[in-house]
Amino acid sequence: MTFGRTVALSDLHLEIGPGIAGLFGPNAAGKSTLLRVIAGLQETTRGEVLWNEQPVNVRDEGFRRAVGYVGHDAGLYRALTVQENLQFFGLLYGTTAKIEQVVARLNLESLASTRVGELSAGLRRRAAVARALVHDPQILLLDEPYANLDDDAANLVSAAIRDWWSDGRHALVASHGAKRVKAFADASIILQRGHVVSHRARVAEGTR
Amino acid sequence: MSDGMGFVAKTRLIAGKDLRIEGRAREVLPAMVTFVLAVMLLLAFSLPPGSRVEERVRFLPGSVSVADVLSGFLWVTVLFAGLIGFARTFELEREESALDVLLLVPLDRSGLFLAKAVVNLAFLLVVQVLTIPLFVVLFGLDLGARWAPMALVIVLVDLGFVGLGTLFAAVSARARSRELLLPVLALPALVPIFIAGTELTADIFLGASFQTLAERGWFVVLIAFDAIFGIVGALAFDFVLE
Repeated sequence: MTFGRTVALSDLHLEIGPGIAGLFGPNAAGKSTLLRVIAGLQETTRGEVLWNEQPVNVRDEGFRRAVGYVGHDAGLYRALTVQENLQFFGLLYGTTAKIEQVVARLNLESLASTRVGELSAGLRRRAAVARALVHDPQILLLDEPYANLDDDAANLVSAAIRDWWSDGRHALVASHGAKRVKAFADASIILQRGHVVSHRARVAEGTR
Repeated sequence: MSDGMGFVAKTRLIAGKDLRIEGRAREVLPAMVTFVLAVMLLLAFSLPPGSRVEERVRFLPGSVSVADVLSGFLWVTVLFAGLIGFARTFELEREESALDVLLLVPLDRSGLFLAKAVVNLAFLLVVQVLTIPLFVVLFGLDLGARWAPMALVIVLVDLGFVGLGTLFAAVSARARSRELLLPVLALPALVPIFIAGTELTADIFLGASFQTLAERGWFVVLIAFDAIFGIVGALAFDFVLE
């Protein structure tokens, strides 16, 4: 995977089993690029992503329905309230049944009628995670979900991820805060300069 | 709410979201209307006082009919007002990278194109409804019963304009200099539509009947471009956004 002359990901063979995997590494290691490639938002220069042993096709609506993604930004509309954003994306995925649950899980009830543009960066992050969970995806791809969060808010996000997970689902959580993700992750992947330097299973230090 | 929203409903949902946000933020329409009013006012001073639509004005090295000048005024104003609006087509999605999320929802991307095109068309029509009557008054035009062919020309020009403008707004959406890129890409391709619109409008100002208008063939040009830009826009949108 290259951007001009910059090689973002190279010689990367990664098999991610069901469970929650932490994705770690220094800045510019390729974490965000890897998440975007898996989501189908970035085409690879070479190679492919397989899902259920089939090449991922981002034009396949079934695959898109299966993915919940949070990138660097919140992916929300600033002029709409938190509730309106969740309703909007929920309707596009054909389900709004989980909205109440994810709003409660992330402790956003009192902010549901606040416009996203009026939220702090940390609250926007929580709202973004809620948005990614609203259609109950099979694959959850989170890029720095703990950015700008205090400890209590980070714990809420961790709890929301744990609540979402069930057998057969996959989550990949990219974070600088390895300790926080390792507390509940099934595997850890360390990237450096676009290469996987470590891929270990079962890293959870606590219980899910 | 259970699963089952179809293509049309999702497209309507996205368009409705954009209109709702514009209703709150009022960023696009006021800019377009202000531009049109300011340009019309300036143009009103550019013709000799008391010029009549049937006359010709001296325009070195020869002369040009006032009807042609006014028709050109009208469509150049609409063209640039439209480009101001179209440049904002994906601005809402850029703010918090919502475009990435929108590209992942289970909806054919032609639905996203259609939603954005409908919103752009709505903005353009609102601007025209607010400003064209003023244009008519300002330049002393008497359209009489010719409002119907005029409305038809407006709609046909708008459809092609919006189809192409929305497609090129998507092309330039992720570019750093998108405000510059959009007119550079769109203007050359829009020339045939605006020539057809200008020719038809000048004839309407001069009192041509619908039959005369139809015989000149410009309607065929407009309909052909509308169809081409609409179909190409919907088909190419998927690749353009990658």
